[in-house]
Amino acid sequence: MLNIDNLSLTIGPDLQILRDVSLAVAAGEAVGLVGESGSGKSMTLRSILQIEPAGSEVTGTITFDDVDVRGLTGEALRRMRANDVSMIAQNPHAVLNPVLPVERYLIEGMHDAQGQPTKTAKIRAGELLEQVGIDAVDRVLRSYPHQLSGGMLQRVVIAGAIAGRPRLMLADEPTTALDVTTQAEVMAILDECRHELGMAMLFVTHDLDLAAAVCDRIAVMKDGEIVEIGLPEQLRDNPQHPYTRALMESRPAGLTWTPESEATS
Amino acid sequence: MTFILRRLAALVGVLIASSFLVFAAMYAAPGSPENFLVQGRTVSPEVLAAIREQYSLDDPFLVRFWNWLTNVLHGDFGRSLANQQDVGELLAGRLPTTLMLVTLAAIIIIVLGIGMGIVAGTRGGVVDKIILLGSNLGFAIPTFFAALILMSIFSVGLGWFPVFGSGDGFFDRIWHLTLPAFALALPSSAVVARITRTSIREERDSEHSVMARARGVAESLVMRRHVIRNSMLPVSTIVGVHIAGLIAGSFVVEYAFTLDGIGTLLVHAVQRKDFAVVQAIAIVLVAAFGVINLLVDLFYASIDPRVKVETNR
Amino acid sequence: MKQFAERMGALGLIACGVIAVVVLGALFAPLIAPYDPTIGSVTQRYQGMSFEHLFGTDQAGRDIFSRLLWGARSSLTGPLIVVGITAVFGTLIALTAVWWGGIVDSFLSRVLDLLFAFPNLLLAMLAIAVFGPSLTTAALALSVAYIPYSARVVRSMAMRERNLPYIRSPELQGIPGIVITGRHLLPNVAPLIVTGATINFGFAMIELAALSFLGLGVQPPEADWGLMVSSGQQSLLNGYPAESVLAGLSIVITVAAFGYVGERLGGRAAAGRKA
Repeated sequence: MLNIDNLSLTIGPDLQILRDVSLAVAAGEAVGLVGESGSGKSMTLRSILQIEPAGSEVTGTITFDDVDVRGLTGEALRRMRANDVSMIAQNPHAVLNPVLPVERYLIEGMHDAQGQPTKTAKIRAGELLEQVGIDAVDRVLRSYPHQLSGGMLQRVVIAGAIAGRPRLMLADEPTTALDVTTQAEVMAILDECRHELGMAMLFVTHDLDLAAAVCDRIAVMKDGEIVEIGLPEQLRDNPQHPYTRALMESRPAGLTWTPESEATS
Repeated sequence: MTFILRRLAALVGVLIASSFLVFAAMYAAPGSPENFLVQGRTVSPEVLAAIREQYSLDDPFLVRFWNWLTNVLHGDFGRSLANQQDVGELLAGRLPTTLMLVTLAAIIIIVLGIGMGIVAGTRGGVVDKIILLGSNLGFAIPTFFAALILMSIFSVGLGWFPVFGSGDGFFDRIWHLTLPAFALALPSSAVVARITRTSIREERDSEHSVMARARGVAESLVMRRHVIRNSMLPVSTIVGVHIAGLIAGSFVVEYAFTLDGIGTLLVHAVQRKDFAVVQAIAIVLVAAFGVINLLVDLFYASIDPRVKVETNR
Repeated sequence: MKQFAERMGALGLIACGVIAVVVLGALFAPLIAPYDPTIGSVTQRYQGMSFEHLFGTDQAGRDIFSRLLWGARSSLTGPLIVVGITAVFGTLIALTAVWWGGIVDSFLSRVLDLLFAFPNLLLAMLAIAVFGPSLTTAALALSVAYIPYSARVVRSMAMRERNLPYIRSPELQGIPGIVITGRHLLPNVAPLIVTGATINFGFAMIELAALSFLGLGVQPPEADWGLMVSSGQQSLLNGYPAESVLAGLSIVITVAAFGYVGERLGGRAAAGRKA
């Protein structure tokens, strides 16, 4: 479904962020993109939606359903962003406009981007919040972003991201900026929503264990290049690249995470 | 609500303190207060008695202040030391010109300053360069110099506007005050334009604007709802500060265009050492300055939800 | 030096050049100026530009070029007094408030609030009404009006530094506050003070020129740019623009130069702090 071929990205004359990145995500599949900060994971995600920083030079091709998404402009690009691919960024407090209430954020996505009538969008906003496990729906809808915790706000973002039933979800370290106690909860909700809707996911994280728990395949990224792609157990039992091995060894022992263990809590 | 009350109380406190400063200033002058007030003018014994009465010079210092302050609060600003006119009436007669001048200038700052800033910030390219250069030079142009240049081009040269005077009737006044208002608003507009431009640039690349684009919101809507709207938050405080600052700037422009406003009255009073008039104008202007600043803060609190919550706690 | 040039950029270096020319012109006015700035001749009124009178003469037959050079002196001294006093007292107040905190801090804040309540020019005119018009009165009064701006900026930065370990640990060792403030706090806020002074210089120049224009600052027959704009007003309207326009442009160019350099320095003060 998603095919990234030889994607390279440079900023300015000599800052190369991505080097010949190639990666595919099949329909319904979850692919993890693992690496340390600065390795180019986020930039890969952002290139798919054409929201890389201004002044970036991008080469290579990215296709979604065989359509060259880097070549999309205007209305076609807008539709792809609104209906097919959605993204969850790291810091929810930065994602929501600080001066607009939460409800406006959800309505904006459904009405202004996807073209649903405002009335439907309003009703759906409440339903979506319930779906991501929020009880005090009305209070949250009326709240401004600064009045909510990061975990609560990230649920709102997830609700917004699944509103259009996209077929691909781009998740950029969705739990890193959150409180340790809410990280697992939010991850569980995300995982649950993905399964419910049958979405494919490209999941960026620095946490190899987390990726192993929620992804079907994992790509390891270092200095803007993908050094290894494999099944989680392959990477765990038989890492090929020295960097993967180092990642495996550096993680804290005895901590394994499964979505099932948290989804009910 | 408590926020407004607290701010009001603070304003009242500052106003009392500053009126004391304005009142006590004359005692810093060398010589006796009587000599300072009379300033070598030849006055009849009756007038001298009236001046002593006006400043209750026979009473102790604090009583003098109290008498003066209560009179001021009752709208009694005493009489001019130079020509015995009632200062309150003098002020009231001059107020409309100044009010109109400041209002016109404020409108120009908002329309021109913010407008230019938005154009520069959203368009980029040559337009941006020109506006940026213009604002870098514009803030450096003293209002009195702008006044002279505008006057010599548009009044004397082209004859489009009157050279001096404030005009009669609403539209005639606007016609007379147009050039002065532009001269007064020019430097502030330049600053506001530049800050608006910077603010728009920052908001354009802010995460919530980028993510709105990534969600498929149309660019024009992102610009309106996320970029321009949010960039107006810092801009509104700057605009407020500059509108409050127009009060002082208006002295100079009024004087340059010989308008019959409060500013010209103040300049003449300082030149003629008519301290009763100086004091009255100082008090009125400090109060106006404080009220405008308060209104700006309240306005800011009303448009940014984050401020409200912090201050309510 | 190279670092400074890079920081300034091409325009910034031009601005520095402008400032240097103005300062040198003011310093060497007695040597460069071809005529006495205050003595004119009735037969020489309103001369055009010539080798004899570079920028012509004014309504009193005085050489405008000489008056511009001499005028640079008062036009620069005034702002220099203002930013000097503002920097010293603003910093002193800010650091005292930050070091002692508590009651001292809130008392000083109240005093600053009181000064903030007056528009700058109004405070200056009040002082001039009391002490009589002169450049000294105008400059001193304006300094008082500017102190709160400087104090507020320095205070907020020093407040952040106050609780950092490099300030805290010598304090715990018992080193006196005045020594720590002078040795550690002051150098860290110094770039901010310099930037503030550069930017305030331009504002002070405009406001002092405005006071001179109103007849409340520099007194005739002395040469001063603000005064020249004012005394050339009638000539300008009668078709002899040289005096007003050249004096006005001198102010504009100098203020713009200070403003631009200040802005560039501001970038440095902000970028120089990584921690």
